[in-house]
Amino acid sequence: MTETIDPFTGFGLGLRKDHHADFLRDAQPVDFVEIISENFMACGGRPLHTLDAMRERYPVIMHGVSMSLGSATGLDRAYLAELKALADRVQPLWVSDHLCWTGIAGHNSHDLLPLPYTDEALATCAANIRMAQDVLERPLLLENPSSYLTFAERTMSEWAFLAELTRQTGCYLLLDVNNVFVSSINHGFDPHEFIGAIPADRVRQIHLAGHSEGPDGMLIDTHDAPVRAEVWALYQAAIERFGPCATMIERDDAIPPLAELLAELDQARNMAKVPA
Amino acid sequence: MTLAASQRDFLAEISLSDDSPAARSTGMAIYRNAYRARLADALATSFDRTRRWVGDDAFAAASAHYIITHPPHSWTLDAYGDRFFEVLTELFAEDAEVAELAWLEWHMQQAFAAQDKPELSAAELAAADLLDAEWETLRFAMAAGYAAREVRHDCAALWHALGTDADAEVAPTPIEPTTLVVWRSGMSPHFRLLDGDEFSALGELAAGKSFGAVAAQAGEQGIARFGQWLAKWLGEGLFSAIRRG
Repeated sequence: MTETIDPFTGFGLGLRKDHHADFLRDAQPVDFVEIISENFMACGGRPLHTLDAMRERYPVIMHGVSMSLGSATGLDRAYLAELKALADRVQPLWVSDHLCWTGIAGHNSHDLLPLPYTDEALATCAANIRMAQDVLERPLLLENPSSYLTFAERTMSEWAFLAELTRQTGCYLLLDVNNVFVSSINHGFDPHEFIGAIPADRVRQIHLAGHSEGPDGMLIDTHDAPVRAEVWALYQAAIERFGPCATMIERDDAIPPLAELLAELDQARNMAKVPA
Repeated sequence: MTLAASQRDFLAEISLSDDSPAARSTGMAIYRNAYRARLADALATSFDRTRRWVGDDAFAAASAHYIITHPPHSWTLDAYGDRFFEVLTELFAEDAEVAELAWLEWHMQQAFAAQDKPELSAAELAAADLLDAEWETLRFAMAAGYAAREVRHDCAALWHALGTDADAEVAPTPIEPTTLVVWRSGMSPHFRLLDGDEFSALGELAAGKSFGAVAAQAGEQGIARFGQWLAKWLGEGLFSAIRRG
């Protein structure tokens, strides 16, 4: 995979059903919308009709949650074929998924499960990413997930693991700043070390989201609240290092009126000193 | 331990039932809780009317049972409830309307997002200008999302009564065995109860039998009624295409 993805420095939102009508009725001040790929794969009817209408109005990014790039038993080829068909139809800015596994041997958790950062996991992820990129005929963006436990057998940090994957596979990074913060609290590392160590030239997109407090002082990546002040501060550090970067607000629960999310997106624009 | 073994153990641990020993760490408890909560939420979303019909507690118990006995296998969470109505058939053996309602909810959603097919109109069929011999061997392809099953309760009344937020005040009216048919026309899923004679004709066409064979079954006495049904089915968008020969 030798293809590259040019930087794209816009500001967008994750597209959710609650806001479909808003996006289609009026031209909203966003540079792109990000869809959850699985919501539009292997389907037709109203969902696909809405996606086609959206695509006529806005650039689209395809963000997946089910590729299971860390699965020890490899990728689901039928899933990849459906994803490729959707990408061919949408012609997205890019396709992304997570550094995680979601299931094994046909049992899917529908969750972003954590990986041990070992040489074996690295080789597994690299092979799976190469296969996905070959099928999709485009480089992937790989997102760092939030995690709630670590493995005793780990031999490297998450940021070293990500950096090595970009080097071995040519993939790019979708930096979720909220996930960096959540994992830093849960596992006791310095989030600035994470931001400072990933390869700046591979970051093509940033996710911002809210989180909530879980048991025993842990944070949970719930996407049900505005972006917290600590995450905005980390975003500032990120754009100082990476420069203006495609930035997006994610909200998946307790979804507010679109105007609230657009106001939150303006905060990102202001921090990046990019006028709406 | 290999990565594969580690992942099998991890998945087995997060998919344990509620009455299993406590998770070995806070983090594992978070993943275990998220696994069950996500699947239960998916079922509650897919079967909202069924949940309101049986009540939250009974629905939660049925969901918990399904989550243990039916681990998700598809890459999409939208497919998770595909066997729920079968489980409800067992769990609510004395209340058959529960599984019938769940079947209807499931297939209405499947029809809503089913892959697109063209919709065959009466005008298109007329424009095909078929010869008599071609009518004999003509076959019909069904509409997007087409599904059918036998029911013994008035699911239509139940569906409509549960369509509002108000508590349903409807009794599950037993009816003679009738066929419930679901399909999509345009962007909208539809359903209708068909009596035995009408479905025996539609079902034969859906199963791939030729127009000529089904017309012959109708006989001279039934052919006029079969023609009326065909016009009605075309008007309802129940077919996507014809195949000659």
